[in-house]
Amino acid sequence: MSGQNNNTKILLITTMISSYPGANTVGQARLQYSPGTYIIRVPDPVVFPESFYMRCFEKGIDGIIIMSSGSDCPYEGAYRRLSERVGRVYNRMKESGIDPSCLKLTTICTVCKAAFLKEINEMQANVIKARSTQKESAA
Amino acid sequence: MNGTIEQLKADVLVVGAGIAGLQTSLDLADQGNRVLLVERQPSIGGRMINLSKVFPTLDCASCITTPRMASVAHHSSIDLYTYTEVDRIEREKGKFRAYLTKKPRYIEEELCIGCKRCEEACTTYLPDEYDHGLGGKKAISIPFTNAIPQYPVMDMDNCLLCGSCAKACPTQCINFLQEPKTFEVEAGAVIMTTGYNLTELSAKKQYGGTKYPNVISPLQMERLLAPHGPYGGVMRPSDGKIPSSIAFVQCAGSRDKSLGVPYCSRVCCMYAIKQAMLLSGSLPIADITIYYMDIRAFGKGYEQFYQNAKAMGIEFVKAKVGRISEDSEHNPILRIERQEDVAQPEEVTHDLVVLSLGMVPAWVPDRDGIIPLETDTDGFIRSMNEKITPSLTSLSGVFAAGTITGPKDIVDTILEAGAAATEAANYLRGQEVR
Amino acid sequence: MEKQDNLDNINQPEEVRVGVYVCHCGGNISDVVDTKAVVEAASKHPNVKIARDYVFMCSDPGQKLIIDDIRENNINRVVVSACSPTLHETTFRKALRRAELNPYLYEHINIREQDSWVHKGDHEGATAKAIRLTMAGVEKIARQDPLEPIVVNAEGHVVVIGAGVAGMRAALALSRRGLGVTLIEKSAQMGGRTRELDTVYPTEEKAADIIAQLEKAVRDAKVDVRLNSEVEAIEGFIGNFEILIKSADSKTAKARAGAIIMATGFNHYVPYEGEFGYRQSPEVLTLPEFNKLLTELPPSQKLTYKGREIRSIGFIHCVGSRQTEGIHQPQPDGKVNDYCSRVCCTSALHTIHRTLDRFPDLHIYDLYKDIRTYGRGHEDYYERASKRGVLFFRYTDDGLPVFTPPQKDKTATLTVKDVLTWNEEVTIPVDMVVLVTGMMPRNIANLITMLKLPIGADRFLQEVHPKLRPVELANNGILVAGTCQGPMDITECSSAAGAAAAKVSILLSKDTIEMDPFVARVDTARCDGCQLCLAECEYKGALTMAENRAKVNPALCAGCGSCVAVCPTRAINVAGWTLDQFDAMIDAIGAEETESELVPA
Repeated sequence: MSGQNNNTKILLITTMISSYPGANTVGQARLQYSPGTYIIRVPDPVVFPESFYMRCFEKGIDGIIIMSSGSDCPYEGAYRRLSERVGRVYNRMKESGIDPSCLKLTTICTVCKAAFLKEINEMQANVIKARSTQKESAA
Repeated sequence: MNGTIEQLKADVLVVGAGIAGLQTSLDLADQGNRVLLVERQPSIGGRMINLSKVFPTLDCASCITTPRMASVAHHSSIDLYTYTEVDRIEREKGKFRAYLTKKPRYIEEELCIGCKRCEEACTTYLPDEYDHGLGGKKAISIPFTNAIPQYPVMDMDNCLLCGSCAKACPTQCINFLQEPKTFEVEAGAVIMTTGYNLTELSAKKQYGGTKYPNVISPLQMERLLAPHGPYGGVMRPSDGKIPSSIAFVQCAGSRDKSLGVPYCSRVCCMYAIKQAMLLSGSLPIADITIYYMDIRAFGKGYEQFYQNAKAMGIEFVKAKVGRISEDSEHNPILRIERQEDVAQPEEVTHDLVVLSLGMVPAWVPDRDGIIPLETDTDGFIRSMNEKITPSLTSLSGVFAAGTITGPKDIVDTILEAGAAATEAANYLRGQEVR
Repeated sequence: MEKQDNLDNINQPEEVRVGVYVCHCGGNISDVVDTKAVVEAASKHPNVKIARDYVFMCSDPGQKLIIDDIRENNINRVVVSACSPTLHETTFRKALRRAELNPYLYEHINIREQDSWVHKGDHEGATAKAIRLTMAGVEKIARQDPLEPIVVNAEGHVVVIGAGVAGMRAALALSRRGLGVTLIEKSAQMGGRTRELDTVYPTEEKAADIIAQLEKAVRDAKVDVRLNSEVEAIEGFIGNFEILIKSADSKTAKARAGAIIMATGFNHYVPYEGEFGYRQSPEVLTLPEFNKLLTELPPSQKLTYKGREIRSIGFIHCVGSRQTEGIHQPQPDGKVNDYCSRVCCTSALHTIHRTLDRFPDLHIYDLYKDIRTYGRGHEDYYERASKRGVLFFRYTDDGLPVFTPPQKDKTATLTVKDVLTWNEEVTIPVDMVVLVTGMMPRNIANLITMLKLPIGADRFLQEVHPKLRPVELANNGILVAGTCQGPMDITECSSAAGAAAAKVSILLSKDTIEMDPFVARVDTARCDGCQLCLAECEYKGALTMAENRAKVNPALCAGCGSCVAVCPTRAINVAGWTLDQFDAMIDAIGAEETESELVPA
C-alpha cells in the first residue's frame, strides 16, 4: 500500500443532509486528502449505540470523526442525545485504554471544505500520536 | 416500404429533446399526460449532453443529463422518436396534426444490440460532429458514448458500401436499402423546445473566420475539457501542443450589431469562467485571460463563482479585441484595446484562443417552416405574455421553452420547461392563460 | 404499511446473489481507481455472483447491464460503485424496478466525489479504498430485505404562501389544474413588490395592469385568497399538511394541503445610516424610494425634491449586492451580501429612461461595476442610455464611490476612481443620489424555524439542486417559487412558479403519494417491551406501545434512529440502515487489505 498515512483507517460518519454532501463538495473542488478515510452515511449518527463505536475500534478502525449536522440537524433532540452519548463513549474508551482523541464529534455543513480537511488531518495526527504513545507504554 | 402512413396519437407533441424538451416531457408525463417527443438528432440530450461540466456547481453535464435521458427513454407515457424530422404541424379544429419523417440509420433498430462491431469493422473515418470536428468517427457509428438510444448511424454520403459492417454485425441488422419512414401525429398541444445554435465562428471577419486552427469555439473547448473528449486532454488543434497561455474573447458573437446579434447571449461570461476554471485545474501553470466588456454573473451562486475564479488567478481584462491574426507557429495574436489603465492598443500572443460565441435560434419559422410562430426582432420566438406566461406563443396551444425564446442557461431553461408543461397540461384541460 | 412490521428477519428464503457494477465515469473514476481490481476483489465474495465495470453505468447500456443480469442471471441484490448517490441512486433504483426487482435491494457506493476525485495522486490507496467501500456495500445489501414504499393520502389542495407574482401565478396554475388552492398573503393586497412599480421592463406594461390581470384570473379561478393573514402553525407531512392561518383580526382558520409552495418574496436591501450618505443627507434615496417619488410626482417641467430643483442625479449600482468581506459592512448575521441581485442593473436603467422621458435635460451619471443587462430586450436599455447622454463610470471595490454632502454654496458630489479613464479620480456634482439596492430574502424566520427549511449562505431558501431539483426544498412536499429562492425578475418568477406548479401537479396527480420506507421498524419477536425507545422519540404519535411491544406509525416517524441506539435487544431499527448492516460494513472497512482477508469467512 502506498503513502505513509494510508495505514491509518479513519471512519467518517456523515449525515445525509449536511456532511455527506459536504464531502462531495470537497470532491467537486478536487481538494486532496488521504485515502485512509472511509465515509459512511446515516440519516443521523444518533442511531449508533455506545457499543458500535467500541466495536469499530476493535475491528481495525483507528479513528472516528462523527460529522454531525449540528444546528442544521433536521431531527428533534437528536444532536443533544448524540453529544451525550459521545460523552459516554469517551468514558468507555478511557476504560478500555483507547486514546479519547481518536473519537471526535464535530459539525460539517454541505460547504465546509476547509473544516472537513482540517478534521481529517487532525484526526490523522491524533491517531499516529496515539499509536506511538501506545507503543511506548507497551515497551 | 408500405404505402400507408403510420398514425400516432399523443396529448402533447414536444419538438426537440435537449434539456428543455426532456424536462417538459417528464413534467407532463409524470402528471399522466401522453407525450410524443421528437428529436432530429440520433441521440437525445441536446447541447447539454456534450458539455464537460456545468456552472456554478461544476457537476459533470453528463451526470445531470443522463438520468433525465434515461427516464425519458424508459417512461411508459413518453413515445420517443429520434433521428426524426418534423416536416410540418397543422392546426385543425383545436387539435394539431404533425407530419414526421424518420430518417434511415441504415440499421434495423429492433435487431441492433449496440455492440459496436459494425463501427469497429468500418474503415472510413470522418470528422466527428459531436466533437465539433476535433475528433474522428467511423462512417457507421454510435454518435457518442452516452448517447440514447445506443444505435449506430450510417453516413450514407460517405459510406463506401464495402459491406464490412454488415459482415461484422452479429444480428444482421445492417440495411443499406432502408428508406425514410413517415408518421402522422394527432396531438392536443405542442411544445417547441428546439434550442439554439452558436453564432458562426467565422462570423466576425476581423477575428480571422476559421482561418486560424488555434482559434476555437466554446463547444470545441467543452469537448477538449470533457473526460471523454477527442484528445484525452487539452491540446491545441494545430500541433497537439499543451497550451500554456489561453485567452477567451467575450462577446465574440453577441452585443455586436455588425453580426446582427445586438443582444447579450447571457451564458457566455459564465461558460468562459467555468472553462477557465477547469483549464486552470487541468493545466495549473497555464496563464488564462478573459477579455471582457462586462462580466455578467447574475444567477444564483454565479457572482461567487466569478469571485472564486478571480481568486484562482484567472486574469480578467476589460478590453476590446479589435483583430486576431497569427504568427508562423499558429499562435493567435490578439490586438486589444484595454478599457482600463492604459488605453494604448497592444498585441498579445496566446497559444489558444476561445471565441465566446453567442446564441442564435436553431429553428427559425420563416426560414425553416414547420409551423408559423411569430418571432421578435431578435429572431427568437415571441412570447405573447412575457411577464405572466413566458411560454405562450402566437398560436393557441403551442408553447415554447428554453433557448427557443432567447438565450438562457440550463437552470432557467429547466424552470421554463416546467412552466411550459404546466401551461400545456392546463391547455389540455381547456384552461389556457392568454 | 402494517405487514412491514414482521419483515425484519434476515432469513431470506432465497439465496443472496449480489451483482457489483463499477463505473469508469468516462475516466473520472477509472483514471485513478483500478476498476478492474475492484471488480476482481468483489467477485471473490461468496455472495457476489457477477461483477462488472463499465464506462458509464448511468447510461442506458450501463443500466441495461444490470437489468439483464437481474433477468437472466438471477441477481437479486445490486451494488453500483460510481458517483455520489445524490446523482444516481434513484436512477439505479428505477432500473431495478424495471427489472422487477425491489428497488431497495440496491446500494450505491461513492467512489468518485469521495475517492477518485480526492485521491488523485494515490492510485493504489484510492483503489484499496474503492475495494473496501464496495465490499462494505456488498455486506450491507446482503443483509437488506425488500422494502415497500410508504403510501400516504394526498390531499388535493395546495397552500401557497405569499401573493406576489410568483405566488399568484402558482396559485392560478394549480387552481386551473383542478386542485384546491389557498393563497395566504400577509398584506392587504395581492401583487407583492410588483405593486411598487410603475412600468416594468422590457415590455413597458403597467405593473398595475399585470397585477390586475393576475388578480382577476386568481379570483375567477376560485382560489381561496386570504389577505391580511399569516401562517400561525404548520403540522403534518407531505400529502397531509395542516396549516393554521391567522388573520389580522386574530381569527384563525385551518387548511389541509397536500403540498405547500413558498413564495414569500424579497425585501429591498436597506443601506445602513451613512452608506453613501443614506439617511444622513436627504438627497440620497434608494432606487425603490426614487421610483416611488417619480411615480407620485405630479406633472411638471422640472424634477423637484424637497423644494429644490434636481438637475443631476448619480446612480450607484451594487449597493447591498456583490459585496466583499472586509470592505463592506456585514449584515447582523456577520455576512456580507456577496451575491448579485440580478435585476437591479436593468431596473436602474429602466428608471433612468423613465426619468429622462419626463426630464430630458437631467444629467445622469451611472456608477457601476459591471452592467448586467443580460435578459431579452435588456441590452437595449443600456445602449439607449449612452445615446441619451447618460455618463457611465466604472468603479471597483478598490475605490468605492464617496459621497460628499452639499456644503453651503456647493452641491453634493460623488467622487469615483473611474477605471475606464485610467483610474482617474472624478468628482461629479450631483443634486441627488440614487442607491441601486439589491434584494434580500423577506424575513420568514418563523417559517424557517417551524418547518426547518434549508437556507443557503446567501440566506435565500436553498433548493435541493439547481438543475436536478430546482424548485424543491429538502422538506418533502414543500416547494419554492420566486425571489424567496434568490433574485429574479417578474418573468423569471412566473417561470419558477410554473415549474413549482408542475411538481405539485405531479405530486398530487393521484390521491396517494409514495414515500421512502426508511423509518423505524420493530421486530416484535425481539422486543421485550422495556419502553426505553419511547422515551427517546420526539415525534408525537410515531412510537407507541401495543400489546406490550413497541409500535411505529411510519407516516409520522422521521427515521432519525434515536430509538435504535437505546434498544437493548436490537429489536428496533431504521429500515435500510440497521445496526447489523453497519456492523458488517465496519467489518469490511476494517479488513486488512490482502484479498484473502477481504473475503469474510
